[in-house]
Amino acid sequence: MPMMTGEQYKASLRDGRLTFIDGDQVTDPASHPLLKTAVDVAARVYDSFYDAGPDAFNPIYLVPKSLEEYRDRAERLSKGITDMTLGTTGVSLLALTSAAAKLGQLNPAYRDRIYAYVDYCRENDLRCAEVITDAKGHRKKRPNKQSDPDFYVHVVDRNAEGVFITGAKMHISAASIEHELVIMPTKAMYPGEEDYAIACAVPVNARGVSIIDMTYAPRSEDVRHYPVSGKVNCPEGFVIFDNVFVPYERVFLDGEVQHAATLAHSLGLWERAAGLGDAGAAADREVGMAALLAEANGVADDPRIKDQLAQLVVYATMCRAAGEAAMVNATRTEDGNMLPSPLFVSALKYFKSEFRAKLLDIQHDIAGDQLVNAPTVGDFEHPELHDGLKEAFAAPGFTAEDRLRLFHYVRDTTADAYGGWAFVTGQLAGGGQHAQRIVTMRQYDLERAKALARRAVGIGEFRKSGEENWKPL
Amino acid sequence: MTMLTGEQYRESIRDGRAAYIDGKRVDDVTRHRLLAVSVDWVAGTYDRFHSEAPDARNPMYLLPRTAAELEEQMGFLISADFTAATTAGCVSLREILPELHTVRAEYAQRLEAFLDRCTAGDLRIASAAEDGGVGEAGRVRVVEQRPDGVVLRGAKRHVLGASVVHELLVVPAGAIAAKHPDEAIACAVPPNASGLKIVNITTAPRAEDDRHYPISREFSVPDCYLLFEDVFVPTERVFLNGETAFAGRLVDTLGVWERARSAAEMADRAELVLGLAQTIAEMNGVEKLEHIRNKLSMIAVWASMCRAGWQHALAKARTTPAGTVRPDESAVYATKAYGGERYNDMLSYLHDICGGLVLTVPSAADYDNQATHRYMEKYLRTMDGVTGEARMKVFHLVRDMSADQYGGWKKVTEQMIGGGLIAQRMNALDHYPLDEVKARARAAAGIVDGK
Repeated sequence: MPMMTGEQYKASLRDGRLTFIDGDQVTDPASHPLLKTAVDVAARVYDSFYDAGPDAFNPIYLVPKSLEEYRDRAERLSKGITDMTLGTTGVSLLALTSAAAKLGQLNPAYRDRIYAYVDYCRENDLRCAEVITDAKGHRKKRPNKQSDPDFYVHVVDRNAEGVFITGAKMHISAASIEHELVIMPTKAMYPGEEDYAIACAVPVNARGVSIIDMTYAPRSEDVRHYPVSGKVNCPEGFVIFDNVFVPYERVFLDGEVQHAATLAHSLGLWERAAGLGDAGAAADREVGMAALLAEANGVADDPRIKDQLAQLVVYATMCRAAGEAAMVNATRTEDGNMLPSPLFVSALKYFKSEFRAKLLDIQHDIAGDQLVNAPTVGDFEHPELHDGLKEAFAAPGFTAEDRLRLFHYVRDTTADAYGGWAFVTGQLAGGGQHAQRIVTMRQYDLERAKALARRAVGIGEFRKSGEENWKPL
Repeated sequence: MTMLTGEQYRESIRDGRAAYIDGKRVDDVTRHRLLAVSVDWVAGTYDRFHSEAPDARNPMYLLPRTAAELEEQMGFLISADFTAATTAGCVSLREILPELHTVRAEYAQRLEAFLDRCTAGDLRIASAAEDGGVGEAGRVRVVEQRPDGVVLRGAKRHVLGASVVHELLVVPAGAIAAKHPDEAIACAVPPNASGLKIVNITTAPRAEDDRHYPISREFSVPDCYLLFEDVFVPTERVFLNGETAFAGRLVDTLGVWERARSAAEMADRAELVLGLAQTIAEMNGVEKLEHIRNKLSMIAVWASMCRAGWQHALAKARTTPAGTVRPDESAVYATKAYGGERYNDMLSYLHDICGGLVLTVPSAADYDNQATHRYMEKYLRTMDGVTGEARMKVFHLVRDMSADQYGGWKKVTEQMIGGGLIAQRMNALDHYPLDEVKARARAAAGIVDGK
């Protein structure tokens, strides 16, 4: 099948899916006031890649085998625009293909089905959601020991053609405006928990699937006050599976508890790796934002401000370095698929989250309260206010409009509904700080580090080596 | 005069003031959907303290004379609407009446008369100190001196509650250079003064169903930008006019109470953050996990230190020459600097313990919807005794206070009280009794007479 245009994508969402928001059922996401922007953006993404050729496909479906292929894929993706739906599609499918070799060892059919499913999505130009976090119930109890067995998605029945699943998955970005739900166990499973070791793909409009949406999309009549979230936003889905049938050709793991966590690890890695290539540029943008705020407030020469900017520069430089290190130290799966270095990916994710609070404090300190009380674009345009605001809000080198735009941008992205969403998801996507520490520790070569220490001290295998062990390392 | 009821208050601010919001003129702030949130908050405080007794006064007009009264006053200001705090701050200018008297006796007499009139009339005052912009046009200045008053032009920003109070107390943002006497102006301006325009920004929720915003649906205050376009102020309302040397004193005094309220509230908020984190940890069944206890312990240390800082400020309170008791400035700044610098980290721990549902838990309307109710209750509950509805309410509260529009506004606004994190730290140093600690250091080092 050829690729979809934006309009074809919008039409494809009118497929009988059962979605809700603010207590109402959504009949058409493309025309719902709170979902429309997200659908429009996804449609523009479709149009930006559209090619009418019969064999054309979006580069998001490419599975890179080397760093060169990864960079080539990134280069091809940069020719179009991106959004959450494209991002989750790439992460979902790369998570599946990264795990394909291991799952194939359990059952060759799993591996074949994964690659067949990726082909199906590519050929039909479908968008896929990452569906992983379960409701979880009591966090310390195993899935099969909960007061409600449905707290984790599990197989409740099966027949010759497939399985039936029940449960709920949380925080599923873009679920209600995509085509496919790529479902994976949220964590490792143990003997006795076979029903919970289920990975599969389900169409969003499958019978028994319901999605309740939340969104940070602005609810203001005039969304120009929200220069980022007014143009680009995305719903988060609370996805319910109520006895949903899944045919076997869409099942990638079915009871093999020893590999339940394989997909979660793959997904976590690719989720954390998202934006890796852009890590330096994104951090540079934050530095630039703080520097512009300082100039717009006439305090750029204040030594205290310069010191704060220096802290941001160190942060940006380390982000760039870790992003590059993750690529330079990439490895391969047994299928030959390329994997960015989990050590540097997790270390960067941890570092960015750890510094984020400080970064925001610095930007807010430089911006001042105007960040959250600067008048709106509508106020600026009001004939009774325009001249007064134009005169009073200007600063040397900045028109009033420039300053308003700057404050609105930083407020929207750091101190408003979208800013709050970005702050929390920045920490939690791909696992919180504790999870990053665990992954980093697991990937780090601690034995080598200890050997270096023993050599420096001159103990253990280095005890008899003499004074030369005290040389600097 | 007697105290106003909430309804009398509403009626009193329907006076033709030129208020704007979202690019539209508002004819009656009490009936505008977003501004009515603030009006209702203020009206609630009026009703709560209303008394028919002829001498009854709202506590915000009282100046604390003892440490106990100070603590009680701060407790009241945290529990009351925000304009009570700004009014109390303005009333505290009674402290500097003797000093103002030395500048010009009429100034002190007029300011005292103004404050007496506000107290007797149960009126709310907002303070307008911060300049509206970086350039001259962004600063309020006298553009014409008339025999019967002055004419003002310029702008003020961050005037909390301007559109829902009865009076605006305009003061210079700080020290004024001697070459700019036109900017050394302090006066009282009614919000409906001719030529005054009030632009409102508010965190009041715009959603049709505001139950998703449990704090901001009740506790939002308009953060206003004021444009003075040739506003005439009669002489009897002018409290400073050209005396640059005194310009910074007024805002210094207003700032004492603003910072004190902020520090006291920081201590309260820190305890709420800890309470929410512990509550959700228990609801999730993870309160004994080591890494969760680590985060809880860090929030507990922070909350304890914020409380200790505020209590220290109260314990070291001093009495001013006017007989008013003030909290210790160094301790107030230190509490704000420490509490603020750790605030984002503490929110990170809270969010980490809560997980993604902080952002993604569906709305109360979805909970009420028959089609989704059973799923939400089923999957949001965690164990016997923990309902889905209770968890939903906790997540809504955490999101509203820390990861949504109100949370962002509150964080930045509180951070900037006292000049921002660096300024707070520097001020803590500047107000610290350094001579005492240097003497200790010299004694410890055995230095006598410089040897």
